[in-house]
Amino acid sequence: MKEISFIIDGQKVRAQEGQTVLNAADDAGIFIPRLCNHPDLEPFGACRMCTVLINGKPQTACTHPASDGLEIQNDTPQLFNIRKSILDMLFIEGNHYCMFCEKSGFCELQALAYRFGITRPKFPYQYPRRTMDATHPDIFIDHDRCILCARCVRASRDVDHKHVFGFVGRGTAKKLAVSSAKGARDTNVSPDDKALSVCPVGTLMRKHVGYSVPIGKRLFDLMPIGSDIEEHVGKQGKE
Amino acid sequence: MTNTTKIQETKTDTDMRRIVIDPVTRVEGHGKVTILLDNEGAVKQARLHIVEFRGFERFIQGRLLWEVPVIVQRLCGICPVSHHLGAAKAMDMIVGADELTPTAEKMRRLMHYGQIVQSHATHFFYLASPDLLFGFDAPMQKRNAGGVVMEHPDMAHRGVRLRKYGQKIIETTAGKRIHGTGAIPGGINKNLTPVERDRLLADADQAIKDACDALEFIKKYMEKHQDDAEALGAFTSNRLCILDSDGAMDLYDGTLRAVDRQDKIIFENEPVVNYLQHVAEEVRNWTYMKFPFIRQLGPKEGWYSVGSLPRVTACDYIDTPLAEKARREMIEALGGKASGLTMAYHWARIIEIIHGAEKIKLLLQDPDLLRNELVVKGKRKDEGISVIEAPRGTLFHHYRVDRNDQVSMANIIVSTTQNNEPMNRAVEYVARRYLQGTEITESMLNHIEAAIRAYDPCLSCATHAVGHMPLSVSLCNEQGDIIDRKNRAYFNSQQCII
Amino acid sequence: MAKPKLSTVFLGGCFGCHMSLLDIDERIIELVDIVEIYKSPLVDRKVFEERSDIGLIEGGCVTEENVEVLLALRDHCDFLISVGECAIMGDIPSLRNTIPLRECIEEAYLNTVSTWNPTHNIPNDPELPLLLNRVHPCHDIVKIDAAIPGCPPRSDALWEALQALLHNKPVQLPYEILKYD
Repeated sequence: MKEISFIIDGQKVRAQEGQTVLNAADDAGIFIPRLCNHPDLEPFGACRMCTVLINGKPQTACTHPASDGLEIQNDTPQLFNIRKSILDMLFIEGNHYCMFCEKSGFCELQALAYRFGITRPKFPYQYPRRTMDATHPDIFIDHDRCILCARCVRASRDVDHKHVFGFVGRGTAKKLAVSSAKGARDTNVSPDDKALSVCPVGTLMRKHVGYSVPIGKRLFDLMPIGSDIEEHVGKQGKE
Repeated sequence: MTNTTKIQETKTDTDMRRIVIDPVTRVEGHGKVTILLDNEGAVKQARLHIVEFRGFERFIQGRLLWEVPVIVQRLCGICPVSHHLGAAKAMDMIVGADELTPTAEKMRRLMHYGQIVQSHATHFFYLASPDLLFGFDAPMQKRNAGGVVMEHPDMAHRGVRLRKYGQKIIETTAGKRIHGTGAIPGGINKNLTPVERDRLLADADQAIKDACDALEFIKKYMEKHQDDAEALGAFTSNRLCILDSDGAMDLYDGTLRAVDRQDKIIFENEPVVNYLQHVAEEVRNWTYMKFPFIRQLGPKEGWYSVGSLPRVTACDYIDTPLAEKARREMIEALGGKASGLTMAYHWARIIEIIHGAEKIKLLLQDPDLLRNELVVKGKRKDEGISVIEAPRGTLFHHYRVDRNDQVSMANIIVSTTQNNEPMNRAVEYVARRYLQGTEITESMLNHIEAAIRAYDPCLSCATHAVGHMPLSVSLCNEQGDIIDRKNRAYFNSQQCII
Repeated sequence: MAKPKLSTVFLGGCFGCHMSLLDIDERIIELVDIVEIYKSPLVDRKVFEERSDIGLIEGGCVTEENVEVLLALRDHCDFLISVGECAIMGDIPSLRNTIPLRECIEEAYLNTVSTWNPTHNIPNDPELPLLLNRVHPCHDIVKIDAAIPGCPPRSDALWEALQALLHNKPVQLPYEILKYD
């Protein structure tokens, strides 16, 4: 495989041809924030969190192929503000009650907001009326928390090969749905499905677990999201 | 249903904007006292209104049973552990955990005793002690915890230390000082590490000593200020609490006992699952807080009190030595168990701090806390009922869940609600005693507040509302016209904190 | 020079944020040394006679009275901070925002299993302030200058924020204490 190199924020990064900008940056120990992207799933380019400037143009790093000589900007005040606004919008569009959410401390949306130092969103809360699908004996789906990242849709289709999840509606009415009108109980979803483990927020959750990890020991309690990527600096090729 | 019309005509969003532009002048008045005078100028009626409402019983419906202990503790930031454990115990029943592992049960007890120490210390040192140290008629600039820091630094440091100790225990068992996640249906999510245990154990003796020092203070105070003590109300009442099978005080679990004004038993050894046969709550239109009563005595005669004083006087004994000694001394000094001295609540509270601290020390020496069996499960049920003694008194949690594990019914009877009638009576007692002419004097206001404060009302829990409770007292003549009115931020002087 | 003034209010919350302020433990003694707690649930003052430098809000707007208190606070504070999730986003009280208020009231006063209410009485005394249809975060009502998130905010977060403000520095909370739960 051909080795290439490009520049992120003035820093030369080596990568393999065929990698996306996001993957190459990960390998170089540079964290580009992302929500819909997941290493085990096909890139989707939906959430726009990973937007970077590639040769001056905004592009999603998760879908853009890395190629020789690219000039990329990632850590700039302008991009910071754009990403922060995306997070703000996600928070006000749903009902994100972090204080009692079982996913608190493991939630990637929350963790990104921590990393961005958000203390309150700048838009008014919408308090949408959404439902909970708790029909399945071992799983619940809390639509209040869904950010429409489609990780479960892709995982169920491509990894679990079950096609349980999909979207219905358009625009602000767009919502996650399961493959039966009777709810999750009537589908072949299982708590061990990849679809559940990839959910970045508290939408797809296992029942019977509760708050099994004490506060202080949760994934993002002490370490910001992305610090695992930043820690292995130099593993591949940052110079 | 004609009388429901008004409340349903609540503000629309548009109305609210109107308020923003043109605010009504009456500012601050979340808890109010109104006093009605007859034509002769005598007190005809005195009422304590609680003026906030939250609606927990409704919006908890649809939530999953595992979430409930974490949600409902947010009824109250002062004693969240009580609600956290109350709900967890009810959910234990639902997940079929009939008996917890010793580690889980003891970790929860540790958390609960931490809560008793913390909450009572907050109340006594930060809220009540300024009155006791400076007198009810001291200037308001001084009569707060800041004044205590300046003039009685020993007392202030003792209070800070005790409160901190309780909070540290909660933090270690629940992950956070306020609104943690320690208890989960069927058990607990963490045990104690030897390091954590040793750290807490190191301060246990100091906590017991601080509590015993406070006891000496309150004993001397009650001896010296008998008049003051009686000024805040003295009336007997029915009392309710839970006890262990032996009749000893047990703040975490037990069966119900109710005693009457003559200290005769109304019922005892009642399992909490029968609580609906014994307790009901009357709704009155002038306050958001309901009026619980003992069913067999009826709504008129059945009112009762809960909390530190009823617990200490209705139990047969306390199973820790220093607290038991203090209990005997108090009952002797008060001349019997049925004493209805409002101020004795403070005394009983200190006894419970001692009891809590003694229990904490015993628990911390128990190797079970270090073991790893944290959660059990059993046969799923669809209903769970629990009772626990919160710092302010008996607390009931009752839930039903549907086949999807979602809550379909919730009923919570909080401690402060059960002291609603006694608090109203104390207010009326003080009003009669201190009203002179048609003017609200500073002294009367202070005494009314102090009487309410002695019950340590957590108006945050009560009405399941958020009860910030600036006190406003209005005096009305028989025609209902207001002839005098005074405002005072309730939590302030009422429960002045700094 | 006079000490800076700090005022706090308690609207629709659980008092946990004020409790978290007390959780600064011994530092409380330092705090009363460097600021004057002017008007607050923490001291006795009844009305604003002077302006406050800093105002802290716990709780969202649940009743019409909360709105009035908040407006008065805004009028009298130079720098207003939403403290905790109730003030910031409504928190638990706002769970009722997707449910008709009437249902909440009827559940509490008519339907709950321990209620004894033969006359179908619902509290409606003129002394009781009206409940708002929806619980509002404070920034729906007035301009808010900063926020300290958490349910409640960690006591260290409150301490750091107050320290920064009192020394005219920007408030920047370290990662470990900026939390939403």
